[in-house]
Amino acid sequence: MFCGPLARTGRGRLAAGLLVLGLLGAGGSPQPAAAASRPTAAADSVPRLAPDRTAALRLRRPQPDRLRELRQQRDFQYVEVKSELSAWDLFWARFWRWVAEALETPSGRVAWEYGVYVFLVLALGFAALKLMQVDLTRAFGRAPRRAALNYDTETEDLHALDLETQLTEAEQQRNYRLAVRLGYLSVLRQLSDKGLIRWQPDKTNHDYLYELPTGPLPEAFRELTRQFEYVWYGEQDDLTAEDYERVRTTRQAFQRRLVPTRHAA
Amino acid sequence: MENNSSSTPADFPEATSPAEMPVAPESGNAATGFAPRTDLSHLSRHAEAIRQELGKVIVGQQALAELLLTALLADGHVLLEGVPGVAKTLTAKLLARTLSVPFSRLQFTPDLMPSDVLGTSVFRPNKAEFEFRPGPIFASIVLIDEINRAPAKTQSALFEVMEERQVTQDGTRYPMPAPFIVLATQNPVEQEGTYRLPEAQLDRFLFKLNVGYPTVEEEVAILQGHHAGFGGTPLDAVRAVVSAEDLQKLREQVRRQHVEPKLLEYIARLVGQTRAHKGLYLGASPRASLALLNGAKALAALRGRDFVTPEDVQYLAPMVLRHRIQLTPEREMEGGTPDDVVKQILQQIEVPR
Repeated sequence: MFCGPLARTGRGRLAAGLLVLGLLGAGGSPQPAAAASRPTAAADSVPRLAPDRTAALRLRRPQPDRLRELRQQRDFQYVEVKSELSAWDLFWARFWRWVAEALETPSGRVAWEYGVYVFLVLALGFAALKLMQVDLTRAFGRAPRRAALNYDTETEDLHALDLETQLTEAEQQRNYRLAVRLGYLSVLRQLSDKGLIRWQPDKTNHDYLYELPTGPLPEAFRELTRQFEYVWYGEQDDLTAEDYERVRTTRQAFQRRLVPTRHAA
Repeated sequence: MENNSSSTPADFPEATSPAEMPVAPESGNAATGFAPRTDLSHLSRHAEAIRQELGKVIVGQQALAELLLTALLADGHVLLEGVPGVAKTLTAKLLARTLSVPFSRLQFTPDLMPSDVLGTSVFRPNKAEFEFRPGPIFASIVLIDEINRAPAKTQSALFEVMEERQVTQDGTRYPMPAPFIVLATQNPVEQEGTYRLPEAQLDRFLFKLNVGYPTVEEEVAILQGHHAGFGGTPLDAVRAVVSAEDLQKLREQVRRQHVEPKLLEYIARLVGQTRAHKGLYLGASPRASLALLNGAKALAALRGRDFVTPEDVQYLAPMVLRHRIQLTPEREMEGGTPDDVVKQILQQIEVPR
């Protein structure tokens, strides 16, 4: 079959003849030297079969049903399925593509270069404000963060109260306990007005006692304080008119003592 | 061990400031010219007797003695903190000795087990049943020395007994004798082998008292006393002057103390402010409010009054609150202490009058 095209020319015929001879010399006939070295008896004992040149090749084809079945199995599907992107992923993909495109423009490159520094400055400023415990929520017009338990610390403005009127009313109503309290508050205001004590809402009566200058005032104020505490903190609601009169006398005596102090000052 | 402890000053050297000085009983109701509504002479007599017994051995520390008596009358436990050698344990032992009640001492160690404290059930072969053997906690005055040397497992064994005055073992409840007081000591300077007390346990102590060094004069007096000798061990010098029944009666009297409603609001505001303060990440619980109220009532009675004043509340606020609050890390890094915050809170709230 392969000699066909070459055998058409004279040179081709010669080449084909040499090739046939070569093939016959290489494998077609037994080597004389090798044959001579083999024992003759052994060579005769091996039966030789003539090559079956007539046998035709039979192709085995798989069953179409079986092929179809195998094709449907997942293990034999070698094509990767592309995952579908969600709308959110698509949004971010587009966003980042847009950012990348924007940064590639000349103005974008400038913004990127200086934007990093601006961000760093802002971050440092925020950290500094946090360390200084500055309430940043006010800057944005929001109400400041409040505690779960908001105990307001409103104070009673001693100097804004009309103590004299309230005291007269309490005496007229025979509410002697309240009258003792108002009388004591009027003494505190008087002391504060004269600069003998420094009025502060968190101070106790004994704090004021130890603020008074040495002399007769501390002892008199101590007595007044005892009476006030006994009546007010001791919840003496059943105070008699005689009891109250005793307290009032002590208070008025103390207040009279304050008058020379003013003149002396 | 608490981190801030070493920087916290002692309660008692500055307790000599005028506002904190104990007020003599005669400066109470009788001195006002009004007839006292409650007779506190019985209480004053017993308190003075205990003070005198303690004074036989302990030099100075009058404020410490007063606060221990306050806790005794308010039915509260006390945590004493101080460097080694400032007579924390001795004071606790002496106080126990002035009361004729069962006393027990526990030395807390890292390997101590809950059953070593509470007791355990043992099998009796002759009866073929388990029998509960009470632990050393079953006493009226329990001194727990170096309480912060036991781990949390052992500490948690004290939760029930300190709050509910009972021990539950194998489904059976065993009530504690009355009175029942835990006096615990801890050393603030050692880190090795110590554990920080759980917050739940700290909350169960009425007071945390910082015991400081004595003054030079007091230390000289201590040396003179030891040089002269006590005629035996210091404990022998002290005798029991108050019985359990007496103590119960005194406590009843303390419970009946007058408290003006505005003062209740004042206490609630003080404690509430600890929950809103920026320097604190853990505020005090309502148990702290109750502790402040009970403590103030007892202190007022000891000072000869049958009513509570804002001074009582202000004076006790650091002792009641300092172990119940937790500073924020920022405040701690700034060197702040719980006492500073309590002082700040006291300055923010108006005194009711």
